[in-house]
Amino acid sequence: MESPWDELTLAFSRTSMFPFFDIAHYLVSLMAMKRQPGAVTVAWKNPFSSWFTAMLHCFGGGILSCILLAEPPVRFLANNTNILLASSIWYIIFFCPCDLVCQAYSFLPVQLLAAGMKEVTRTWKIVGGVTHANSYYKNGWIVMIAIGWARGAGGTIITNFEQLIKGTWKPEADEWLKMSYPSKVTLLGSVMFTFQHTKHLAISKHNLMFFYTVFLVATKITMMLTETSTVSFAPFEDALGRMLFGCHQRFSPRVKKNETKSNGTGSSTSKPTADASDKLKKKHSKKTE
Amino acid sequence: MDLLSALSLGELALSFSRVPLFPVFDLSYFIVSILYLKYEPGAVELSRRHPVASWLCAMLHCFGSYILADLLLGEPLIDYFSNNSSVLLASAIWYLIFFCPLDLFYKCVCFLPVKLIFVAMKEVVRVRKIAVGIHHAHHHYHHGWFVMIATGWVKGSGVTLMSNVEQLLRGVWKPETNEILHMSFPTKASLYGAVLFTLQQTRWLPISKASLIFIFTMFMVSCKVFLTATHSHGSPFDVLEGYMCPMLFGEGCGDDHHDNHGSQGTSHGDSQGALHSPLPSKSKEELSEGSRKKKSKKVD
Repeated sequence: MESPWDELTLAFSRTSMFPFFDIAHYLVSLMAMKRQPGAVTVAWKNPFSSWFTAMLHCFGGGILSCILLAEPPVRFLANNTNILLASSIWYIIFFCPCDLVCQAYSFLPVQLLAAGMKEVTRTWKIVGGVTHANSYYKNGWIVMIAIGWARGAGGTIITNFEQLIKGTWKPEADEWLKMSYPSKVTLLGSVMFTFQHTKHLAISKHNLMFFYTVFLVATKITMMLTETSTVSFAPFEDALGRMLFGCHQRFSPRVKKNETKSNGTGSSTSKPTADASDKLKKKHSKKTE
Repeated sequence: MDLLSALSLGELALSFSRVPLFPVFDLSYFIVSILYLKYEPGAVELSRRHPVASWLCAMLHCFGSYILADLLLGEPLIDYFSNNSSVLLASAIWYLIFFCPLDLFYKCVCFLPVKLIFVAMKEVVRVRKIAVGIHHAHHHYHHGWFVMIATGWVKGSGVTLMSNVEQLLRGVWKPETNEILHMSFPTKASLYGAVLFTLQQTRWLPISKASLIFIFTMFMVSCKVFLTATHSHGSPFDVLEGYMCPMLFGEGCGDDHHDNHGSQGTSHGDSQGALHSPLPSKSKEELSEGSRKKKSKKVD
């Protein structure tokens, strides 16, 4: 019973990402990029700029982790085969006659397969980031978590930054700060793999990789099938948030009043009450809906 | 008698410069830094809605100086985060300041005498950071004056120099406001301090490092405590700058903007002067340049 299972997970954890999973990752990332308004016209007008954005979409996480660890950010260019692969996929997606690839991709099972395979690469990236950071800092588990997270989900930060510099996107408070579902999941995975690496979590690495990947793929596919963007974490997060940060809000109106009396920083402190009541209102309106 | 007092003063400075920073002084540094974060408009709201972003902001406020210095010297940006205990301490303080029941911790810290103590201790850390930063840069570049000054400056002024990034993290994007355009007192003082420590490091200033740390700390503590106690945003350098700037950069720098550039230029001029030629001739040169400018203005 024990050994076949172990063999299975071990074999799974030794799967090479290179040809197929990487292709799925590039495909999903670049299709997401193509859905952004204006991406296609940019590709026709200025192919090089579009290509560069595509590379950032594909290799963003690695670039961010290189920046954080003071390694050359263009290191990803050294991996010729991956660059060629990503470039050819970019070319096919944007310039294929009759948009054949896009039409094929809009077929749901293909989408599901590609998204599932992309989630597999995420696990591998997190593990790679954690072990890489561990080679620099033996006891720096905060660094390990951060690098794992950067590898797995840092791409969005890089692409957002690129858009900011281009001027096509202005940081609205909410869009920038709200952690998307992938980044939350990646953070969770990064924490787990770090604790596994520092032996605080009594589970072997290949088992953890297997379970985490299954979890990722399952949630992703259910999300795509039910077409919701935020699932599975909401109740848990709510409870945690209430426990850690929420016990304050019950007291907040009284406290804030006292505070505005006692010192002059009324403008900054009176906001939270309004905010809290806003939130309550929102919740109420949600319930009534 | 005189010698004895000097000796004891030197010993005092030496022992002062060897006081370990970690638990107490670092604690007060974190408290004051995160307090300033809480004063920013919208920070409390942010912490309720996006705790992670707020935490990252707090970390930038606490460790911004290390991150910037690492960026300048090409070391891993995330280097300082391997000090688990410091990061945990800062996180705990962030949590207490923002989410303590009844805001008790915040109120205690904001009580003026307590706050003054913390502010004074923060200045101790600042001066020590400048000294360490310059030593570190000197280790990399033995004759890199400007590298040393820049590293010391960045270490001293910390997050204020990367305020744009920090604002971006809070969802505010205002590229038109910039610390370099409107330098506050700590930033200027760090710059001057960095120049002084650089001169000391390269042995142009005949004074031991310990006593320089002691003197500069006393200066910073007294200034900053005075400024905090009186709630003023001015700086003791204003008088000096008002005198120097018209001399160096001609008239018409009454407004804040020019003033600041003036101060930056002055210090660089100082260091250059010490490098190449004695100071007076340099300032004379600049003086004559200023008068030439004035003349050309008149002609215009």
